[in-house]
Amino acid sequence: MNFELNEEQKEIKRAVREFCEKEFTPELALEFDEKEEFPMALYKKAAKLGFTSMRLPEEYGGQGYGLLEDCIVVEEVCRVDPGLGVAVSLGNLMVPDILLKHGTEEQRKKYIPPLARGEAISAAAFSEPEHGSDITRMDTTAVKSGNEWVVNGSKEFITNAPVADTFIVLCQTDPNATPSHKGQSIFLMEKETPGMEATKLKRKMGIKPCITGSLALSDVKVPKSNLVGELNKGFYYALELFNETRIAVAAQAVGMSQGAFERAFQYAKTRKQFGSPIIKFQGVSFKLADMAIKIEAARMLTRKAAWLFDQGRLDPTATSMAKAFAGRAAMEVTDEAIQVYGGYGYLADYHVERFHRCAKITEIYEGTTEMQKLTIINRLMKTM
Amino acid sequence: MDIIVCVKHVPETAEAEIKIDATGKAIEKTGLVFDINEWDDYALEEAVRIKEKSGGTVTAITVGPEDTDSTLRKCLARGADKAMRLTDPKFQGSDSYAIAKILQSTIKGLSFDLILTGALAGDDGYTMVGPILAELLGIQHATMVKKIEFDDGVAKVNRELEGGLEEKTEVKMPAVLSIQTGINEPRYVSIMGIRKAMKKEIKVLGLADIGLSESEVGETGSWIKVEKIFVPPAEKQAEFIKGSPEEVTTKIAEILKSRGLI
Amino acid sequence: MTEIFVLAEHRQGQIRDITFEMLTKGKELAEKTNTDLTAVLLGKDVKEHAKTISEYAKKVFLVEDAKLENFNSEAYQKVLSNLTKEHKPLLTMIGHTSFGVDLAPSLAAALKLPLATDCIDLAFEGETLVITRQMYGGKVNVKAKVRKSESYIVTVRQAAFAAQKPNISGETMEVSSPLTEETTEKRFIEYVSPPPGGVDITAAEVLVGIGRGIKDESNMPMVEELAKALGGVLACSRPIVDKGWLSTDRQVGSSGKTVKPKLYIALGISGAFQHVLGMKNSDLIIAVNKDSNAPIFSFADYGVVDDLFKIAPALKDKIQELKG
Ligand SMILES: Cc1cc2nc3c(=O)[nH]c(=O)nc-3n(C[C@H](O)[C@H](O)[C@H](O)COP(=O)(O)OP(=O)(O)OC[C@H]3O[C@@H](n4cnc5c(N)ncnc54)[C@H](O)[C@@H]3O)c2cc1C
Ligand SMILES: Cc1cc2nc3c(=O)[nH]c(=O)nc-3n(C[C@H](O)[C@H](O)[C@H](O)COP(=O)(O)OP(=O)(O)OC[C@H]3O[C@@H](n4cnc5c(N)ncnc54)[C@H](O)[C@@H]3O)c2cc1C
Repeated sequence: MNFELNEEQKEIKRAVREFCEKEFTPELALEFDEKEEFPMALYKKAAKLGFTSMRLPEEYGGQGYGLLEDCIVVEEVCRVDPGLGVAVSLGNLMVPDILLKHGTEEQRKKYIPPLARGEAISAAAFSEPEHGSDITRMDTTAVKSGNEWVVNGSKEFITNAPVADTFIVLCQTDPNATPSHKGQSIFLMEKETPGMEATKLKRKMGIKPCITGSLALSDVKVPKSNLVGELNKGFYYALELFNETRIAVAAQAVGMSQGAFERAFQYAKTRKQFGSPIIKFQGVSFKLADMAIKIEAARMLTRKAAWLFDQGRLDPTATSMAKAFAGRAAMEVTDEAIQVYGGYGYLADYHVERFHRCAKITEIYEGTTEMQKLTIINRLMKTM
Repeated sequence: MDIIVCVKHVPETAEAEIKIDATGKAIEKTGLVFDINEWDDYALEEAVRIKEKSGGTVTAITVGPEDTDSTLRKCLARGADKAMRLTDPKFQGSDSYAIAKILQSTIKGLSFDLILTGALAGDDGYTMVGPILAELLGIQHATMVKKIEFDDGVAKVNRELEGGLEEKTEVKMPAVLSIQTGINEPRYVSIMGIRKAMKKEIKVLGLADIGLSESEVGETGSWIKVEKIFVPPAEKQAEFIKGSPEEVTTKIAEILKSRGLI
Repeated sequence: MTEIFVLAEHRQGQIRDITFEMLTKGKELAEKTNTDLTAVLLGKDVKEHAKTISEYAKKVFLVEDAKLENFNSEAYQKVLSNLTKEHKPLLTMIGHTSFGVDLAPSLAAALKLPLATDCIDLAFEGETLVITRQMYGGKVNVKAKVRKSESYIVTVRQAAFAAQKPNISGETMEVSSPLTEETTEKRFIEYVSPPPGGVDITAAEVLVGIGRGIKDESNMPMVEELAKALGGVLACSRPIVDKGWLSTDRQVGSSGKTVKPKLYIALGISGAFQHVLGMKNSDLIIAVNKDSNAPIFSFADYGVVDDLFKIAPALKDKIQELKG
């Protein structure tokens, strides 16, 4: 057993850290948190250095590392700033992953390299206004007409929708299938296809530089060749995909926790009350110790899940444990970070409140914590 | 062109709190982040740019313990082709003179067209490795270099002088050039670079391999022997203005007003 | 009786201040060690300089040669080597300047004499030279012994010693140049002046000096506004110029401009001596730095230990409010 990163992984961590610490300045973080815009220049810069394509194969312009190395990068970017970090690391979300598993060679060659190089942005549309945790039925339909599919419906909460070039969209292709999820398929769509319209959701609680939008689809004509994998397998592909990407969400949570913790720790060393640095008070120092414990536990669960995945032994229980635990830890750690800062923590200029606002998303997207627990318990019921 | 770059692994101290250690002769190193010396960073970048333009190789060399590998790996990841680490317990306590000797005895056996060093190291600031190395190798040097052009067996360099002035000087090659900051904009380490770097080996040599005697290195081989280090006595200490930004700026405004500045 | 050499430094017809600073310290050391103070002046048509310098030293060795018109370490090293070998000075003092750092290390290595660079203080304890210098960007001082030798070489930091004019009238002794032919390996070509920029910071009454603490180019407008509110202009430390955020003519310090405004506000500048050299004589210095141990606070009249991103905008608002 070895719990240490190897030299190469340490180098990766150092390289990302150096990049983020120079580029994700606190002022830029505040600016983007305020203006709710995608940090395009940063995304492109990070992509050029390879930070956004860690787990994509080299033949498609990626770096050829595993999910564990990707998690190291994700943790680091979110540690320096949760908003910019999430935005940059989710710039090419899910589309390459699903195409690698189920796409045709033609689809891969066309869509993955620009995403790997940071020249394009992707979005993955599952959630709908009426279907969030439960996506076993989609109101968005795709109806075959000659060589095309005609898609109608609407998607909600779609990361990158207003800025994306390439989309995958989960549609009901067989409305009569029972159970209904056996009638779902995933289609690739390109931006500005007639009938597609994305609107930006504003005033989110956190991760504001990561743009979220709704997607309206009205008579969108999609060529047959844009079907991903087999017809009516979309639901299964989606579950499989989440089992991978949720691990990266756990890494986001770990990074946010670490960033807030480091700030709180430094602050506690310098802030004086009653004539001594507040870190000298056990009420504060034990808080910090508890934060450190939670972060380390979350990190270990996350790395284990990623490692299993890289070994080809994907374990949904490990994934869900990592996401649920890391998400909760992030909420608690960032909350305590604010507490350590006292009143200053409540001000945007001191940054920790932003970490707290951002952390919440890790308990919601890519399956709420409750859904993770459902996965865990269902699997335990089967095996114990 | 085959270029050798001498790099040093130093603690970053601009924003760190510095404590003097129990010996009173060094600072407490635990907790400090080490990285490539700022000046060497520019030197390495310059070497890589020259190589990218005109071909050849870049070899990064450092004298230091094992943990300096991270700086060498950074050099490899940023475009150096080879890396060498000169490590020996006997090297401990070497000042820049001893370091230059260690470098010289290694480099003399290598083939090169150009050697770049940083103008100085941010930790001890001796500002002498480059020109001593040149003298020991019997070649020319130029320090405080802010621009390099090549021309038929010579390097035409701009050296930084005081007061914003520069001088253009021609130096016969091979030469040692000590690089001043600002000559270029060092690149970030990329993932592609790391992947390449990890495939390369860091060659490690010790005292026995380089043919120097024990007395030529370490404290005995050095010119300078540190007796003690201490926090500089403040010639004067600023009067500190404390309070919230509102209070602080009110006070500053009063001071400026009293001096007729606003 | 042996002597202490001070290498005079001059450029474009001007003797540089470091020369007089070293001569002042050299005189003190010569008295203490019972040696003579000798200035060494190399150049072409520099008899006028020799006259000026002879008011600071007992002796001036004057070596005139067309090949010595401009500084060239190869030529200077040959001449100094000869003089050192012949006279075996107890100590040779050279400025820790762009000339000195190009010359002293290779000279010392060639003569196998110990060298201590960037000294801010010097003393002899018996026959041992003890020097004080700085490390870690001026955050600590080091007291060190130089390896025992009959003859030492040091480079001396600019402005480490205050120049004082003594009451001496020394004699100038012309020494013939040992340079028989042009130097072959190193050749001075020309001086290059930075392109003149729009702003002359040396003429400004109020300067807002920014340093690496400013972190990102996107923060420039904020400090620019502060400078404007104060009726001043922006100046900076070297890293800001290195990054290309301001032009070279805004740099304050040893390799930049020397300024003496009525007000110098240092924002996120640590106070490395090269910077301080250029601004320490300002009438009023206010420093903002989040590190209470930053050396800048030993030069400032007022200090604020806080985040500049809080203080600078607040100060701008306050000034604007007062100005109405
Ligand atoms: C910023 C942001 C970005 C997003 N990005 C994307 C994206 O790119 N693509 C995409 O498809 N979606 C995205 N989503 C949607 C996200 O995945 C959903 O919000 C999430 O799955 C929850 O769905 P819901 O909001 O409809 O909540 P609901 O499903 O209505 O859940 C409400 C609450 O009920 C709980 N709950 C529901 N069912 C159960 C149960 N059986 N047992 C116990 N508790 C239950 C939930 O856990 C939750 O607490 C994003 C959301 C946000 C906020
Ligand atoms: C030959 C030579 C010539 C040189 N000439 C010059 C010269 O002419 N001029 C010059 O300036 N330098 C010169 N230098 C460089 C000099 O040695 C220093 O490296 C430089 O002055 C450091 O600049 P700085 O203070 O901006 O940066 P740093 O030393 O990195 O200091 C940054 C400071 O900002 C503070 N800080 C960071 N964030 C904040 C914040 N949010 N709020 C408040 N404070 C913050 C930090 O605590 C730190 O003290 C020269 C060097 C050499 C070798």
